[in-house]
Amino acid sequence: MEWKHKHLLGIDQLSGEEIKILLEKGNQYRNWLEQSPKKLTRLSGYYLINLFFEASTRTRVSFEMAGKLLGMEVVNFTNELSSLNKGESFRDTVRTLARMKADALVIRHRSSGIPLYISQFLPFHIINAGDGMREHPTQALLDLLTMKRDGIDFTRNTVAIIGDILHSRVARSLSIGLKKLGSQIIFSGPPTLIPKGIEVLEGQVIYPVEEAIRQANVVYLLRIQKERQEAGFFPSTKEYSHFFGLKENLKNTNNGRWKKIMHPGPVNRGLEIDSSLVEKESSLIEEQVSCGLAIRMAVLETLILGG
Amino acid sequence: MNKLLIKNGTVILPQKDRTIEADVLIDDGVIVQIEPGINDGKAEVINASGCLVGPGFINIHVHFREPGEEKKEDLLSGSRAAIKGGFTSVLCMPNTRPPIDSPLVISYLLSRAREIGLVNVFLTAAISLGLEGKAMTDVGLLKNAGAIALSDDGKCVKDSLLLYRLMTYSKYFHMPIILHEEDTDIAGEGQVNEGKMAFKMGYRSLPKVAEDSIIARDLVLAHSTEALVHFTHLSTAMSVKLIEWFQGQGVKVSSDVTPHHLLLDDQSILQYGNQAKVKPPLRDQTDIVALKEGIQRGVIKILASDHAPHTHEDKEGDFNEAAFGISNLEIAVPLYAKALIEDGIINWLDFWKLLSFNPAQFLGLIKKGSLETGMDADITILDPDTHHEVKVNEFVSKGRNCPFDGWQLKGWPVATIVNGKIMMRPS
Repeated sequence: MEWKHKHLLGIDQLSGEEIKILLEKGNQYRNWLEQSPKKLTRLSGYYLINLFFEASTRTRVSFEMAGKLLGMEVVNFTNELSSLNKGESFRDTVRTLARMKADALVIRHRSSGIPLYISQFLPFHIINAGDGMREHPTQALLDLLTMKRDGIDFTRNTVAIIGDILHSRVARSLSIGLKKLGSQIIFSGPPTLIPKGIEVLEGQVIYPVEEAIRQANVVYLLRIQKERQEAGFFPSTKEYSHFFGLKENLKNTNNGRWKKIMHPGPVNRGLEIDSSLVEKESSLIEEQVSCGLAIRMAVLETLILGG
Repeated sequence: MNKLLIKNGTVILPQKDRTIEADVLIDDGVIVQIEPGINDGKAEVINASGCLVGPGFINIHVHFREPGEEKKEDLLSGSRAAIKGGFTSVLCMPNTRPPIDSPLVISYLLSRAREIGLVNVFLTAAISLGLEGKAMTDVGLLKNAGAIALSDDGKCVKDSLLLYRLMTYSKYFHMPIILHEEDTDIAGEGQVNEGKMAFKMGYRSLPKVAEDSIIARDLVLAHSTEALVHFTHLSTAMSVKLIEWFQGQGVKVSSDVTPHHLLLDDQSILQYGNQAKVKPPLRDQTDIVALKEGIQRGVIKILASDHAPHTHEDKEGDFNEAAFGISNLEIAVPLYAKALIEDGIINWLDFWKLLSFNPAQFLGLIKKGSLETGMDADITILDPDTHHEVKVNEFVSKGRNCPFDGWQLKGWPVATIVNGKIMMRPS
């Protein structure tokens, strides 16, 4: 099948079939990652620019590794080191980069819509690595790949997404992806962090958190930023962990099977989740990182080579 | 003896919207039978002939001043005053020193109240830490510790975003929010209602709009968040209109009034001086009429008293320096009777709804506020025909700050039964 998208700006632009293609390719790469040596030459000679205007470790390193494993040359730009600090406008910075004649640009920015904006005038493939509160498509794809590899049947799958839905691009992208594959979605958490308009994601809001967990087979916890508490969305981290954090007594089973626990990372141990649960057998959190690398390889290859 | 039989009373059944002539049998703190002609040789008998027998009165706005200001009132003196006033349950406001804003303070106070064991003491926790209006308290942890409502009473929640978030957040825990409505910028150092009296006496005024404007804001917030919101001690005609309009839009807000706002107006300050200094201030006759009509039309669903005891020192001297508040727990019921029953605004059945059934419903006290089998045996017996003079020097409350000294009032509680125990006996 010929790949028709030049960019990966969001999960929203992909059909269910297209998601499945990326998952299949990602699955192959995930298997291949177990081997050594790993270096491939499939994208040898292509240049990738990582342009991160927001702090990131795991996503930036993951894209860098994915490019290098496929044989690409990778250049990293971070906001602190860029000419933006010298007063250059965002548009000029990006246009300057465009003249560098790279092939693909991975961008993270705090403003929703920036990847779409630059895709309208930059000549190379744009991959959204997180834009504001809108989308984080490779995170959604890696989450879906993790579920797929765990043997989850998407058509009989209910995922409870718990926590800061309001500010989460991860929640948006994952929900859209899950819906396209036929899964059910439940949202829960402090009502201050469950936004009005959430029905657009076609999930169900269920309170309290215990009930949301009871109805799900995958519990997906979102990272809680300390500044949300300082902004008054919930009273204290103590209260959050008590009422909204996943604890030993909440990780109940589903027909004898442990509920799967996922988290986009990095985890605030003792806040979103009891520390003891992070490494449990039912936790897929570490596997999500490996799947992230594999899915980013799949995305780079698919965009650049066209399917 | 665990059994108690109340004979020959007119029994008020607010949950069924009717009264019946019947006896009430109580066994081990629970109502077990309500019907005419009950006889039980093992039960202690109270003769309630000529009296009304209804579910115990619940006062959702009292200040017992503990911890920190026990010289004004404490849990023991406040509980005694409640019993004498015919109240079986009270809800204490959190503006103590320190405020009730932590699970530790709640646990301590509930444990003290259990030791005293006279009335059911319920606690309101603060909305904001330290009542400072800046950061939300741990609503869920406070509920777990035993708080049943939230309020920054004594202060208005000025920060709209904080209140908006609180209204949204507290729904998760089904915690009702009780609001003291007063725009502090408009109120400034206001002491009395804006108008002729304030001007004549040279007192700084506290305009009605200070209350009305914040009520309007919070009705909009309640409408948006669908939170369980209650406006306490309403004082203006406009407040009633605003609430009524929003109730008409389906907003489930409730409100209460105090007896002094129904019986006194700002001119009363000329007669009673510092003893009539309250917040919100006493308004004028148009407001009194509007509040009464609001009760009659069911806009105002709860009667509370804002029992605010102070020491003599706090109330004496310079009017501007005197504390706000009236000690009224022991006389609130006959005061209400004077304002509402004598004036023909409501009947005794409605009275009981406003002072027992509705407060219980609002606070989620499922075993209280109704007279039926299986409910807690919290019962108030009231003689509608008794006359007494108010004698402030006989108050059991530590607070003697009360303008009603010497008033002749009719319709006093004569017995108070809490959890099946007779705490005040008919004399």
